[in-house]
Amino acid sequence: MILEKDNVSKCAAMTKIRLNAGEAEMYENELKDLFRWVEELSKVDTSAVPETSIGHAAYLRPDEPVVNEKLADTLVGEFNEQQGHCAKVKKVL
Amino acid sequence: MLKTVFEIAQAVQSGTTTATQVVKDSLQKIKELNPQINAFIEVWEEEALARAADIDARRERGEKLGALAGVPVGIKDNILYKGHKATCCSKMLENYVAPYNSTVVEKLLAADAVLIGRTNMDEFAMGSSNQTSVYGPAHNPVNFDRVPGGSSGGSAAAVAAEMVPAALGTDTGGSVRQPAAFCGVVGIKPGYGRISRYGIVAFSSGADQVGVVASDVKGAALLMEVLCGRDVNDSTSLPDEVPAFSQNFTENIQGLKVGMPKGFLDNLGEEVKNKILAAADKLKSLGAELIEIDVPHAKYSAPCYYIITSAEASSNLARFDGIRYGYCDKKATNLNDYYELSRAPFGPEVKKRIIIGATALKAENYAECYLQALKVRELIKQDFAKAFEQVDVILTPTSPTTAFGLGAHKDNPLAVYLADLYTCQGNIGGLAGISVPCGEDKEGLPVGLQFYGPILQEEKILNAAYHFEKAL
Repeated sequence: MILEKDNVSKCAAMTKIRLNAGEAEMYENELKDLFRWVEELSKVDTSAVPETSIGHAAYLRPDEPVVNEKLADTLVGEFNEQQGHCAKVKKVL
Repeated sequence: MLKTVFEIAQAVQSGTTTATQVVKDSLQKIKELNPQINAFIEVWEEEALARAADIDARRERGEKLGALAGVPVGIKDNILYKGHKATCCSKMLENYVAPYNSTVVEKLLAADAVLIGRTNMDEFAMGSSNQTSVYGPAHNPVNFDRVPGGSSGGSAAAVAAEMVPAALGTDTGGSVRQPAAFCGVVGIKPGYGRISRYGIVAFSSGADQVGVVASDVKGAALLMEVLCGRDVNDSTSLPDEVPAFSQNFTENIQGLKVGMPKGFLDNLGEEVKNKILAAADKLKSLGAELIEIDVPHAKYSAPCYYIITSAEASSNLARFDGIRYGYCDKKATNLNDYYELSRAPFGPEVKKRIIIGATALKAENYAECYLQALKVRELIKQDFAKAFEQVDVILTPTSPTTAFGLGAHKDNPLAVYLADLYTCQGNIGGLAGISVPCGEDKEGLPVGLQFYGPILQEEKILNAAYHFEKAL
């Protein structure tokens, strides 16, 4: 069973999603059905599939360095306050 | 009033009408119908008229106009257009203004299209009914009590209501094709990597693709021609040459090999099933050869899709933390509160997908859940690759049902997830897919027929859809 009883609350806390008790219960019920459905996947024999596979649709090409000389100016230009290539970020707390 | 992308572009280029007139017609239609349909959440009236006037002036000066001259186009609310809001129909981004243009917007502007406004969508593209939008649902123009489908419901509704001849959407599990089917218009998702995603708000990076909704196949082909191609700003975009899709339709489809997956009509309602069988007969009468194929793992596409895309979403949406992007809470006194309160504006469906993703990625679930889904995905891809050794295109319904009622399936989210059964195979398999109308059920609701083709062979599905559309 993938979904343990307190899974929803734990995963919500891990992803910084605050849930009240009612929401936690609602999600738990919905996720139980969903993961029961997902367990269908365990019936498939994947023993011959390597953990990392590039797949049929994957595409290999040489890496191309992209140089955009104006990018730094553009990015810094988005900030309200700046000094040279330094930008002032907002205070969080 | 001119209705298709081609008619409009040709008339504006030749001077038999003006871009200004076309845009005025489009704005008039929006004024008449949008209050009931809610397809557009913002309309850029003044700007569109100014741009149309500029296109007309350039034509008068003898300048050659672009391929989409004067064509009004709507863009989904997750596509960045510099200086304009892009909110993903979420409270999280309600004040976000795009600081740069997405590549697709650059390409539309370079082709002289006129961007009319932002279209409604499910919040962060998560949904199949457009009901998770913070702006309220879009309504199906065929029947206002029905959903338009989703997540690009506003784009499909806008085209079906003839507000615009084309609109952009994004398709992660069928979000262009399913609403196109529900609203009775054409929707195409190219193969993975065909259209740049630079400037598109990410949901699931392994499945997201920009797609086109249009009033006819030829119009969709012309937009594809403009939008496809390599972009240095998107390392997943493919460098392959882009064919002249709209010029490459063949004389007929004599000898076209159409694959029909074994058992794919099982559990379908009688009405949709009969329409698909009638469509297959029509293709046969046009000279196509119907061949039964076996894609045994395709039935696992939907659970695979929900695990992989939710896992990717939980990672992609981590950036909406009040620091890098999104709403910032002002009341928090410690960092944990700051994060949690800043992420509170996410709607229930988005929160659910993030939690699903985090559950699938948890160390104790990873192998059984996420890794297993990736491996099954590989088997699905292999099935399709094998099938395409035998056939040119594969035929399926776009959706197992026609448009359902607003508010339906509220207590059964799994039923909504199953609506993606036929479309998410394309995203999981990286295939190109197109939905084209193939008739109506007895309530007058459109039924969509889907063609799948291998990656980089969009020409084949466009061609099949073009001939089917002509013959219907």
